Amino acid sequence: MKYGGNTPCIEIRFPEINRLIIIDAGSGLRELGNELMDRKLPVEAHLFLTHTHWDHIMGFPFFAPAYVSGTHLRVYGPVTYEEDTLEKVVGGQMTYRYFPIREAELAANIQYFSLKEEEMDLGDGIIVKTKYLNHPVLCLGYRIEYQGKVFCTAYDTEMFRNVFITDPEHPDYDAEMAAEGELVATEQNSLIEQFYQGADFLVHDSQYTQEEYEQKFIGWGHGTIEYVCQAAQRSQVKKLALFHHDPLRSDEQIDGFTDKYCNKDYCGDTEAFFAQEGQVVEL
Amino acid sequence: MSEKHLQTIQNYINKMPSLSTTMTKVLEVCNQPDVSANDLNKIISLDPVLTGNVLKLINSAYYALPNHVASLTRAIIILGINTVKNLALSTAVIGQMKNSTNKSLDMDNFWRHSICVGVTARAIAVQQKIAMHQREEFFLAGLLHDVGKIPMAHCFSDEYTDCLTLCKEQKIALHEAEMQVFGFTHQHCGRTIADKWKLNDNIAAAMEYHHEPEKSDEVHRLLIFSVAIADLYANIFAIGSAGNEYVDEERVLQILKQSNISWNKIAQMHGTIQKAIEKASIFLQVS
Repeated sequence: MKYGGNTPCIEIRFPEINRLIIIDAGSGLRELGNELMDRKLPVEAHLFLTHTHWDHIMGFPFFAPAYVSGTHLRVYGPVTYEEDTLEKVVGGQMTYRYFPIREAELAANIQYFSLKEEEMDLGDGIIVKTKYLNHPVLCLGYRIEYQGKVFCTAYDTEMFRNVFITDPEHPDYDAEMAAEGELVATEQNSLIEQFYQGADFLVHDSQYTQEEYEQKFIGWGHGTIEYVCQAAQRSQVKKLALFHHDPLRSDEQIDGFTDKYCNKDYCGDTEAFFAQEGQVVEL
Repeated sequence: MSEKHLQTIQNYINKMPSLSTTMTKVLEVCNQPDVSANDLNKIISLDPVLTGNVLKLINSAYYALPNHVASLTRAIIILGINTVKNLALSTAVIGQMKNSTNKSLDMDNFWRHSICVGVTARAIAVQQKIAMHQREEFFLAGLLHDVGKIPMAHCFSDEYTDCLTLCKEQKIALHEAEMQVFGFTHQHCGRTIADKWKLNDNIAAAMEYHHEPEKSDEVHRLLIFSVAIADLYANIFAIGSAGNEYVDEERVLQILKQSNISWNKIAQMHGTIQKAIEKASIFLQVS
């Protein structure tokens, strides 16, 4: 498999200061955990969750360092249902009903922090900023800044649209509604673009093609390759990883998309590519 | 005693407020395929309380948006048509029942159970390839299937506590315990509420027969089986609770066999269902 079968998990390593940030605990977290066990222990990491949909937290019970004493894990994420804490949503996967080990039995020190739109200082000059995206549950984009380099994620997210009738000939047309709808959609989209403005590397949801999206997937909370390439270019993004592939895509299909979209004609100065399993990018 | 019980409950239901005209219209709109944002905006705008609730939701800690959202149009763009539609539907219905207090049923758990059954029934509808515009009916039928318990627990709290105890101790279903204590079940009371609110036949039938789908008319059968299975799902995974602590495994197998709905497929939807519950739960806080 070339482009990957695991659900989202991104490792951000800062070798010179020995810091580790992980974004999302999808099934990819299992392999990352195994790899970390072979590196220098104990593991100390900040784990940022974009949202609490299952495909983004399912790897957590299989993260080997969580079972090792001395591991220190700080888990951050947006909380969609106020009455359930992040600990319950993420750690709650480890009840006997689903999994043979309970969270209380984990040897690691795990702390949970709920996030909103905010900015935080992780020390050693690492700054993390968050931004709400457009997805059916609260979902955060992350912007990580370190020594003048900027890394951003914007997934899972769909572009905002004007959902009101815009055809003046339509009997239900309402000029005021149409105009306000247009204004709000444009404004919300530009807020997201501002968030990743000038990023050295952006990882962006591009699950569908524009055609697939218009035919079937409007309102599902995912982006299109065409829109993302244009938006990244507008925001002077240097490198763009097209991410969160549709689970039904084949490697051949994505290779075809690479030929079609990942070029200067389409993306201008932004260097775009389709994210692959285990791929390493140095900034 | 059951005559007297029944009469008291009947009086209680008679005194419940009717659904507002706006709400009746929202229900109508929700059952139309492809409701337009324009229609939804206009209908909700007619009801200042409903408009207030939508805006309260988007400005709540749940979204924690940096800027205050003051217009419905803006809310629809940011939250989406479906969320606003479901919000309107659920706030109105739950709002009617939510203030009912009693000592026997934990109402937060009750509504969490109801929401789980609503979203699971709708997920089953999707799996059964039910037309888009009919899916909201599955959600509503699931959301409302147990509301007949509310007047029973409200008017006869001690007796209802006895039912809950019986259910646990004797390992019987709650409606069987109700039958022993009251001589009738929450399905009967649910039907009376459905008639009072003039809910459509499908939803009324789901409220009346969700424990005995085989007794309903053939036309309502798929909806009722979906609600019945969604109810089992909520009980097996202990998502919320409406007092029915006992899962009769034989009955589960029987219902699955009769309905031709595959448990494996439902289990595969576990993630999707969890997401939908999270999403729908906010409605309880705003209603």
